Amino acid sequence: MKTYVKVVLFFVFFIVVSAILAALYFYNLKHTDMSKAHPDFVITATALLKEFEDNETSASAKYVNKILEVDGIIGSINTAKDNILTISLRTESDLSSVICTFPAVADPSKFRAGDSITLRGECSGFLMDVLLNNCAAVNLKVK
Amino acid sequence: MKRIFVFFLLVNLAFAANAQKYMTKSGYIGFFSHTSMEDIKGDNNQVAGVLDVSTGDMVLQALVKSFHFEKALMEEHFNENYMESEKFPKASFKGKITNLSSLNLSKNGTYDVTVEGDLTIRDVTKKVSAKGTVEVATGSITANSKFPIVPEDFKIEIPGVVREKIAKNLEVTVTMKYLPL
Repeated sequence: MKTYVKVVLFFVFFIVVSAILAALYFYNLKHTDMSKAHPDFVITATALLKEFEDNETSASAKYVNKILEVDGIIGSINTAKDNILTISLRTESDLSSVICTFPAVADPSKFRAGDSITLRGECSGFLMDVLLNNCAAVNLKVK
Repeated sequence: MKRIFVFFLLVNLAFAANAQKYMTKSGYIGFFSHTSMEDIKGDNNQVAGVLDVSTGDMVLQALVKSFHFEKALMEEHFNENYMESEKFPKASFKGKITNLSSLNLSKNGTYDVTVEGDLTIRDVTKKVSAKGTVEVATGSITANSKFPIVPEDFKIEIPGVVREKIAKNLEVTVTMKYLPL
């Protein structure tokens, strides 16, 4: 085999292997670990809800897909199957809150209504409440 | 405009007088796609819904962005390529239990129901009909259903290279545990 054919074959092989490795890397990419992530915004639950209620379009443009660190007081707690935990944070409104869903939590019972919490999560947008996903508790203060 | 309409519908349903309303903001909708190449599962635990047991009317609303996938890249493709969640952030269902008479709310138990209504995804509205169950318990009502949907019905374009990885019919699972309003 001529030398240049070998060189070309080597490069083709190299490119194919790198492409496969890159594909595997992206395919298996994990979600951002919120307990270590740097927040784009730090805000209270009440202020966050107010921004969405005042102008959903501009608040969505500002917050959706961003990492938020939110301070609030736990209102209600709901555990779904696979220990997926959803808590609501109280606001000044009786109807709306900030609803935060955690991926499988080892000990959901440590969260109690009335406790103050600081959590980080990714903002999904607004229905009747502001919704956060992929949440992690940063600080939990028992009342 | 449509979103505002659905919102008011939800609120109206919630506050209309003399009716027995049940509500939840943490209902579940998931979908599952099985092919020989790959299983794909997306879960949303932030579904809002109101059920009026005196008329059988129900409204469900969900954010597309609230669907969670095991793999981050799948979630990104779901949002950016298929559902275009920035352009169409919400999905909704407005419908009715058609055999309300077979439901006995004063007796705890599981009842078979059929629900018909309009499912709106990506601003495309389609009539759907699904069978399910309603579990009447003390202090709560849980509605369950499983039905298939076809992505192409909602103008979801799946490129040829990945078409074989995504099932022709996706299985949708709905579990809504309603509490009295």
